[in-house]
Amino acid sequence: MIEYVCVVFPYVTTILLISTIYAVFALGLNLEWGFTGLINFGHVAFLAIGAYTTAMLNLGGCPLVLSVVGGTVMAGLFGLLLGIPTLRLREDYLAIVTVGFSEVLRFILLNEEWLTRGPFGIYGFDRPFQDVIPCQYYNISLLILFVAILIIVYTSLEKLVHSPWGRVLKSVREDETVPAALGKNVFSYKLQSLAIGSAIAGLAGAMLALYLQYIDPGTFKPVETFYAWIIVILGGTASNKGTIVGALILWTLFSATKFINPYLPFTAHQMGAFRMIMIGLLLMLLMMHKPEGIFGKKEELALSD
Amino acid sequence: MNILSVQNLKKHFGGVRAVDGCSLTIKTGTVMGLIGPNGAGKTTMFNLISGFAKGSGKIIFKGRPTDNLPPYKVAQRGMVRTFQIPHALTKMTVLDNLMLAPKAQAGERIWNVWLRPQSVKTQDIRIKEKSRDVLRFFEIEHLENEYAGALSGGQKKLLEMARAIMIDPSLMLLDEPFAGVNPTLSRKISEYIDELRESGMTFLIIEHDIPAITRISDRITVMNAGKIMTEGTPDEVKQNRDVLNAYLGDEG
Repeated sequence: MIEYVCVVFPYVTTILLISTIYAVFALGLNLEWGFTGLINFGHVAFLAIGAYTTAMLNLGGCPLVLSVVGGTVMAGLFGLLLGIPTLRLREDYLAIVTVGFSEVLRFILLNEEWLTRGPFGIYGFDRPFQDVIPCQYYNISLLILFVAILIIVYTSLEKLVHSPWGRVLKSVREDETVPAALGKNVFSYKLQSLAIGSAIAGLAGAMLALYLQYIDPGTFKPVETFYAWIIVILGGTASNKGTIVGALILWTLFSATKFINPYLPFTAHQMGAFRMIMIGLLLMLLMMHKPEGIFGKKEELALSD
Repeated sequence: MNILSVQNLKKHFGGVRAVDGCSLTIKTGTVMGLIGPNGAGKTTMFNLISGFAKGSGKIIFKGRPTDNLPPYKVAQRGMVRTFQIPHALTKMTVLDNLMLAPKAQAGERIWNVWLRPQSVKTQDIRIKEKSRDVLRFFEIEHLENEYAGALSGGQKKLLEMARAIMIDPSLMLLDEPFAGVNPTLSRKISEYIDELRESGMTFLIIEHDIPAITRISDRITVMNAGKIMTEGTPDEVKQNRDVLNAYLGDEG
């Protein structure tokens, strides 16, 4: 029994750690897409900016807490920078520019070795409570910290989307003409949404760096963006609660497939593909029977008409 | 006093001169009807005046030029418009549609949501009460918690007018408020407009329903092929031979 607990407990902790990071990451996208209708296909870029800025600041001698703040702010600033030229245009342009930006950024991370150590990645930065907490309790402490961060992000977002500010975002999501005719500066609201969503992704990046203790450009492939999309769509577009549940479901599914691994005649590589097929199947079934996602509201679905 | 004065407004799409040198003035507290056959340029006039389209010419609203302002700034000055096809926010409730509108809400700024939650809340309660008053005025208060997507076409028109009033406009541009509305509701809309005009609001109204527009307008401007054909009281316009030929035809 004890042995069983010793094996299962760390395993569950790991799933929860990853899930909280991706929940924060996807909450940023949910603000942009779910509440504002912005199509960001390069969300992973802000995860990368957050992770690299945090790691590099800390390696440069900045205290860990400030490094995390720096990573968050830097990602938000890049969100602003990207939004200024694109958000005045039609929404499809944001999708194109963000996907391009995320790939360009990954190649910069890969090739500018003087700055990022390129493919060798960055490691050796501090861990939270590194000298305070004994090794065997480390992950559980990290989990408590991450859950606390998740709760703060979640409650902040809930407060925002239920405020008059959130009301304007929802009107922008549906029909920009209306808020404009009523005297709202639509561009400014879209920019704020993109910047905050990006900053939240940056925070998730900082969490990822702290958890992995090693980051390299390969960590930030385009597929990470689409994990966030899967999480948001699965949990329910424009539902922050749903986004957290979506992250839990996705990573539980990813991990659970490991248990059926021995019973299937697949190599590790095939298993990876098999997992994605399962996720895809699940999403298709969901879209057919409950297109608004688990916690989404059908009446508020952004793309239904 | 003139609330709106438009001089030599022009807008062309390729070779088509949608609005070709139009001028008009509206006195504060009056209703101006804008009529003309389809394609006369009435909606383009609306788009130009409200900032949704850019052309050339001068637009003076409440003594200040607005021709270079984006639509949201024109709206902030107190000019609001509705659309020919109602733009109800169908994925929001009727009450939220109205509560969206008021100008300069404290809670529209992120830092206020954080730093002054109490004043944001009290203001929001006031806005909610005002929204309910406006819904009562239009007699759709029973719909406040419905998603606007569930409303009928006529109810959507009322919702759009109600929402526009929430910004306390001094000038309202209504694009075909009577189109596709049953006679009872049409009569009610005239009454609402009359009542609002008595409270000091000014209206510019595009309409094809000639009996309705002549009933509520103080003056009527007739457009044809991008130009202003004539302007006068409803009776003068009705008796104008050119107007009869161009537009009113058998209705006159």
